[in-house]
Amino acid sequence: MMKRVILTSLSLVLALGLTACGGNTAESNGDGKTGDSGNKTKITYWTGDRHDADFVKEKVAEFNASNTDGIEVELAVKGDDFDTALDLSFQTSDAPDVIRAKENTIQTFYKKGFLAPIDEFLTDELKTKFPAMPDLNEFDGKRYSLPNYGTTMRLVYNKDLFAKAGVEHPPTTLQELVDTAKKLTEAGKADGAYGFAQNFKNPGSAFGRSARVIAEMSGYGGFGYDFKTARYDFSGFEPIIDAFKQIKDDGSMLPGVESLDIDPLRAQFAEGKIGMYMSYSSEPGVYKNQFPAKIDWAAAPVPTVDGTVKGSSGFLGGQWLALSAKSEHKEAAWKFMEFMYGDQVLTDYQEKGFGISMVPSISAVAKTPDVNGIEGFLPNKNDGVWPVYPSVAPEGMKSDDAFFKYMLNGGDLKAIIADLNKRYNAALDSAIANDGVKAEPDAGFDPAALGGKFAK
Amino acid sequence: MNKTKQALFSYSFIFPSALLTLVLGIYPIAWAFRYMFYDYKGFGTARFTGLANFSRILKDTQFWDSVVNTFVYAGGKLLITIPLALLLAAVLNRGLKGRQLLRGIFFMPTVISTAVMAVVFFTIFNSYNGILNQFLIRSGLTDSGVDWLGPKYAMLTVILVAAWGAVGNYMLLFLAGLQNIPEDVYEASSLDGAGRIQQFRYITLPMLGPVMQMVIMLAIITALKGYESIMVLTEGGPVGKTEVMFLYLYKLFFPVGGGSAAVQVQEFGYGSAVAFVSAFIVGIISLIYFYASRRMNQTD
Repeated sequence: MMKRVILTSLSLVLALGLTACGGNTAESNGDGKTGDSGNKTKITYWTGDRHDADFVKEKVAEFNASNTDGIEVELAVKGDDFDTALDLSFQTSDAPDVIRAKENTIQTFYKKGFLAPIDEFLTDELKTKFPAMPDLNEFDGKRYSLPNYGTTMRLVYNKDLFAKAGVEHPPTTLQELVDTAKKLTEAGKADGAYGFAQNFKNPGSAFGRSARVIAEMSGYGGFGYDFKTARYDFSGFEPIIDAFKQIKDDGSMLPGVESLDIDPLRAQFAEGKIGMYMSYSSEPGVYKNQFPAKIDWAAAPVPTVDGTVKGSSGFLGGQWLALSAKSEHKEAAWKFMEFMYGDQVLTDYQEKGFGISMVPSISAVAKTPDVNGIEGFLPNKNDGVWPVYPSVAPEGMKSDDAFFKYMLNGGDLKAIIADLNKRYNAALDSAIANDGVKAEPDAGFDPAALGGKFAK
Repeated sequence: MNKTKQALFSYSFIFPSALLTLVLGIYPIAWAFRYMFYDYKGFGTARFTGLANFSRILKDTQFWDSVVNTFVYAGGKLLITIPLALLLAAVLNRGLKGRQLLRGIFFMPTVISTAVMAVVFFTIFNSYNGILNQFLIRSGLTDSGVDWLGPKYAMLTVILVAAWGAVGNYMLLFLAGLQNIPEDVYEASSLDGAGRIQQFRYITLPMLGPVMQMVIMLAIITALKGYESIMVLTEGGPVGKTEVMFLYLYKLFFPVGGGSAAVQVQEFGYGSAVAFVSAFIVGIISLIYFYASRRMNQTD
């Protein structure tokens, strides 16, 4: 009998314990300071960035040691599951106080109600210092984040392999891209080196850093959206995808790109096995810290369809840290953000090569980053911030998958594009009618005019 | 009174797991049941669309391709796993030297995280610097390596990896079943002149029937639902060649964007409908199997 009583009590304790797990574990004592761990106000900062992780870790430690408000920031560097983890954290009331937002996530975070406006903390000086960018850090007239660095996109090339193949300049047209890839492969194949590579394990990520920027430089929206007509039109991608297919068919593409992720691609490039690929300005930092390059390499503007620049190469950014709507310590969180947005941190950020500043007052004084290869990534007259396009969920295969399927299996690209246009526009119409998405035609939209604002 | 006490006592034991089932099992299912009739993207208001999600499923060739892939994947995995697990169990059930160590080795994949296992296999199978290709090239078996994760062989590779991860687990279940077969039945059959193969055919297999029925059932359900190692190895690619039902479903809820790709749109409503249809398919197949295999449960 005694045994039964003990067992019953134990199971009840277990059940109550499990129920209690769902509650808040940190109690606030009313003045924003937690009662435990020596009266420190705990702030959590979640980021998905890995290229600057050591630097950010260092700055967080600096803030923790120097702030006099008893604030302690806990940094969590998440992997590719950042968005999913954030979704779950808001479901389980375990959301971070400060969130790293990106140009392709801030809109969703805003719509989901994850972010709190920061206007109440912004002085006039800060408002002028950090440019407001609609849909990138400003929504419905309120500011939700501030810019730090921007990301440019370039063609990254192996100078050693170019020299070996006798190619003097990086390609400026799609035809030259195809020809150069072929020449580089001929020169390097004996040593296992190939002319071109793309990280097709995730076609969205592969085309998002290659086809997208070629399209943008050639005057087309990088994700198939035409800002002039406010409709989806993927026809600008036809010559680009055909050129990629040609490279693959010629045997100038690194074997196994179908399962290649971006980090293994970089590792192969660092070893000298890849002649060219396209990516972001985070690459120099990667080859300095993550995969020290054994080759001489550089970056150049990506080729355009026919050699003429009719648009602008996307300068991605406009946001960095954002305040969580669920933070119980918004003031403390803002103090941390204020520290991170201080001149010293932002200047160091650029000078150490983690990104190119998008804040005019910092760009004016910060030195060129001390990282090999960054010169090619610095903004030029053709880099510009594109407006945000309305994102939709089309029925059936997404454009990136459809294009990659064509590259592997062939088919009628014109028909594929017509089908994409039809499905994407149907999804756009539905999003406009049902989800409050706005898409207004802008007949005077000139993609070439977007450039020249960050460098002449 | 005594009966009430008895019942209370029993319920107190059931309560913790019933609570967990309710919160972590029933609630999400009820949630999905509701949203499968809605257009909901994770923000804003959910819009009731009736059966629109289901009519979209009927036209969704990507989903039906993933169903076919699931059958190929599950079928391939079962064809390798079950006979191999049975064979290993039969061998290791005998007085073999070092059998405890061997059992441990074969069971080890079961305790290793699927994702970690898949990463290790990625370093073996990837075509540009994978260990397997380097071995094949160095031993002169091929000149340029095989694209193990390319369109031609990706499905075979993910099946092999899944089978490797599962065989030890089923081996252990078969071993437990084999150890329940009384030794005297074998002794009696030897006296009657039965050989090893005859013993296996006429004693081991029939007497293992109920265990085998359960093991195959578990294997079918696990294989139909599996996607974790595929996610790591190929993300369902190239161009959907290894996209299985539950991976397709996962991507609807949590799109895999990567870096600064396009803005990802989550489809909770459509995803819930796909989840329902997928669960229905798994349920139907399990029922068909259960019906077809009912004779395995009759040992007498």
